[in-house]
Amino acid sequence: MSAAALELESLVYSLVPWARQDESLKRQLVAHCEEILSSHIGHSVEKDIGHLADLIKRHILQTSPTGSSTLRFTNLLSRLLEQPVLNRKHASLQFLHSLASTPAPTPLATSFLPSLAPPPPTRPSSRLTSKASSPVDGRPPPRGPKGKSKAEILREYRLQMGQPHIPEHLILRDTLYLLQGISGKYVQFSVTKDAEQNKELIFAEDPRYYIPAPTRALIHRLAEVGYLYQRVDSFVREREGKVGVGMIEQSLCHHLQTQLTEYYRLIAVLESQMSIVSQTKVEANGVDEERGREEETGLTLKRLDVWIEDWRLRMRMMSVCVEGARDAHGGALVNLIHGYAENGDPFIRKFTNQLLEEVSKPFFATLHKWLFSGELYDPFSEFFVAVDPELAHLQYMQPSVQGVGQLASDGGFGGGDFGDISEERAGGLQLWEQKYRFQEDMLPAFVGETFGRKIFSTGKSLNFIRYSCHDSDWVATREKLSNTGGTLKYSDIVGLERSIDTAYQIASQRLFDVFFDKYRLLDHLSALKHYLLLGYGDFTEQLMDTLGPSLSRPANALYRHNLTATLESALRSSNAQNDSPDVLRRLDARMLEYSHGEIGWDVFTLEYKVDAPIDTVLDPAAMVKYLKLFNHLWRVKRIESTLNTSWMRIAGGAKTFLRIPELDYDWHQIRLVMAEMIHFVRQLQAYCHLEVMECAWQDLLTFVQKKEGDLDALIENHRKYLDRMVKKVLLLSPKAGREENLLNQVRDVFILVLQFREATDDLYNYCLSESARRDAEKDAARGVYTRTEQGTDRRYTQESLPGILDRVKDYGASFSERVQAIVLSLASHPDLDCRFLGIRLSFSDYYKMKKEQQQQQRA
Amino acid sequence: MSTREADRISAAEETLNTLFDISQLLNTGLDKETLATCVGLIEAGVNPEALAAVIQELRRESAAARSARSTTNGR
Repeated sequence: MSAAALELESLVYSLVPWARQDESLKRQLVAHCEEILSSHIGHSVEKDIGHLADLIKRHILQTSPTGSSTLRFTNLLSRLLEQPVLNRKHASLQFLHSLASTPAPTPLATSFLPSLAPPPPTRPSSRLTSKASSPVDGRPPPRGPKGKSKAEILREYRLQMGQPHIPEHLILRDTLYLLQGISGKYVQFSVTKDAEQNKELIFAEDPRYYIPAPTRALIHRLAEVGYLYQRVDSFVREREGKVGVGMIEQSLCHHLQTQLTEYYRLIAVLESQMSIVSQTKVEANGVDEERGREEETGLTLKRLDVWIEDWRLRMRMMSVCVEGARDAHGGALVNLIHGYAENGDPFIRKFTNQLLEEVSKPFFATLHKWLFSGELYDPFSEFFVAVDPELAHLQYMQPSVQGVGQLASDGGFGGGDFGDISEERAGGLQLWEQKYRFQEDMLPAFVGETFGRKIFSTGKSLNFIRYSCHDSDWVATREKLSNTGGTLKYSDIVGLERSIDTAYQIASQRLFDVFFDKYRLLDHLSALKHYLLLGYGDFTEQLMDTLGPSLSRPANALYRHNLTATLESALRSSNAQNDSPDVLRRLDARMLEYSHGEIGWDVFTLEYKVDAPIDTVLDPAAMVKYLKLFNHLWRVKRIESTLNTSWMRIAGGAKTFLRIPELDYDWHQIRLVMAEMIHFVRQLQAYCHLEVMECAWQDLLTFVQKKEGDLDALIENHRKYLDRMVKKVLLLSPKAGREENLLNQVRDVFILVLQFREATDDLYNYCLSESARRDAEKDAARGVYTRTEQGTDRRYTQESLPGILDRVKDYGASFSERVQAIVLSLASHPDLDCRFLGIRLSFSDYYKMKKEQQQQQRA
Repeated sequence: MSTREADRISAAEETLNTLFDISQLLNTGLDKETLATCVGLIEAGVNPEALAAVIQELRRESAAARSARSTTNGR
């Protein structure tokens, strides 16, 4: 301490030179200095040298506005910081700054020491004595009694002019009115309503008072809240009176109303504050004198602004919501609000989340009902699932009753009920696909597209189980469903997703079970495969054999009862009789609509009848595809059986008892061509059955066994299965306009085969009669007369032989040509399986070699 | 050893010069000698703001003394 005292002494000497002479003065001063030093001055020291440097710079700028001195200071500071000597550079700087920021000592006339002049009141963060008032940090130092501020001058000028500034308490009351959307005495909302109902603030021209511009600006700021309040309030009121306001909107209004109540509370508090002020003001004598006190306790416009700041944001949000609610509706409204939830400002985020929680309540109520009981309770169509009003009333009849009824009415497969049935069927898929619509724009964004789809599908499945399948287990299922999820809330999105998932799985599972266990969908599918796609070989063979002769007749000579009877006998005589009667009763034979000149082969078709709710999967369009497939396969089968019988003739008969040596070569040729034909048809059949149908079936079965997805997936998979078969069996190519090119070629080939067969039959018959004639001649030569009668069959004479041979040759050649063309176009078919069929058809490059030969010959 | 001492002294000189420049810039009105004393005090752990207050006091006292003296002298 002694060293410090020594230094202090030297300090005193250097600053107060007289102290050298006056020992007592010196002692007094030193003691005083020590007292100051040990006092609590400046304990709130900032340790940040950067901040300090900033303060100093600002000070320098104040004293000398040119930037050069600041620059110099920065240089000096950096140089100082480089120096290693001082330990407390920061403290030194602070010392300098403190010293500099105090104004130069005014020559006050205080002669005696202890009664030191009151400390300069504006020293930042320095309190000389505890009794001194504590000025707010950072307040700019007053310029001393230099004179009045310009504002004051203006105020006085106006006072002199007889138009004083308006007292704040008056304008404050008006402002509070404004906050409630009510016009005040001095400030009013304009009554003119233009198109957007924008209101303007009008400052009433009161001759007694003048409202200064800053106050006006402040009031403008404050009045924004009032204006927004008006909008929100009018919205709420408007909705209150209306009927048919959506539930989501209702809950929005409810939430807004609660918010507005809060707002009223705030206004009430503010008002009470103001009344205190005005009371004090009444007591006070002058306005100006009391200003200081008022500033500390009461309400001012500026204070009001701070109070209301929070609400300004809130009102803005609400007003935006209100604005959006005018054209958005239901889920879209929720979506709109959700859009504001993605905000960086935690206040807005919190507010929006709160709002959303409220607003989405009815949405979740609807969702719960939809998700767990499959019922759409949505009186104002706000949900993202919409019901088709035309189909809403449509519900299935009890299927079992309907089935029985159908069987009864179908007794004897009486014709004429086609129309009814197909109409009824249209309902199945239509009901599933169109009864409920998915509306993307109504889907709240926080749910997400995939989950929306899942919800949609779940509810649809449940609805379907309930109304279309009349599931007796329904109640149990619903119980199970309801227990899985708690209440659905916006704040619990994860839980929501989980319960959606479980509900979806359970509902889909249930629907699958219903379809496969109760309605035996798989049985029907395999029945379709066995009958319509000719999976049962023995049955097909039987049918072909018994039906063949009658189908060759013109279509108009065919009768349905004959066909059904044949079908029945074919069923009974084949393995098909072991199928369940439920399947067999659905099988029907009928004729397509025929035109003049068509024969039975063209119009005959098998049919499989399905009813609700199976027809959701096996919809009429699918049945048409099945029929198409059947038609084609039936033709192939016909060609096959034709060739079979023919081959038996020429292979067996022609070799054994047709002894016409000069035609042996022709027969050989015929056998060659026919072998080619058989090869063609066999390959085609094998391809259809083994490569296409079985593979597709396998895929379908794997899907069914997995039991994943919903009814939509099932429909989709079945459709895929069917489409795949149609595309490959019918050799359809994806080229637009030329889809059926190949199919037509194949059909041409079929016709050629039939014609060839006819020609060979003719030749056979000719040979038969010719050999019979020769036999008779030989017999006659031997003296045995075996000829019963002559010339009855004039068709096959020596003269007709060249014609027949020509036809045979022609058909054979053009068949080969066509097949070659088919192989060629199959080779460039986009479908791999079809291309493979081409390879199978020309496995030994037979057609390729043939083509080369032809080219060589041509060359 | 002596060179290090010399270095130290010159560094101290330099630092003092810099501080003095800053002081000039800030218009504190301290002369070099007083500044050196003050910096010494601060380095010894004296509260800088209190020290500033002390300087103010002493100045005021000096001014008061001077005026008093001048008035007495004038009389």
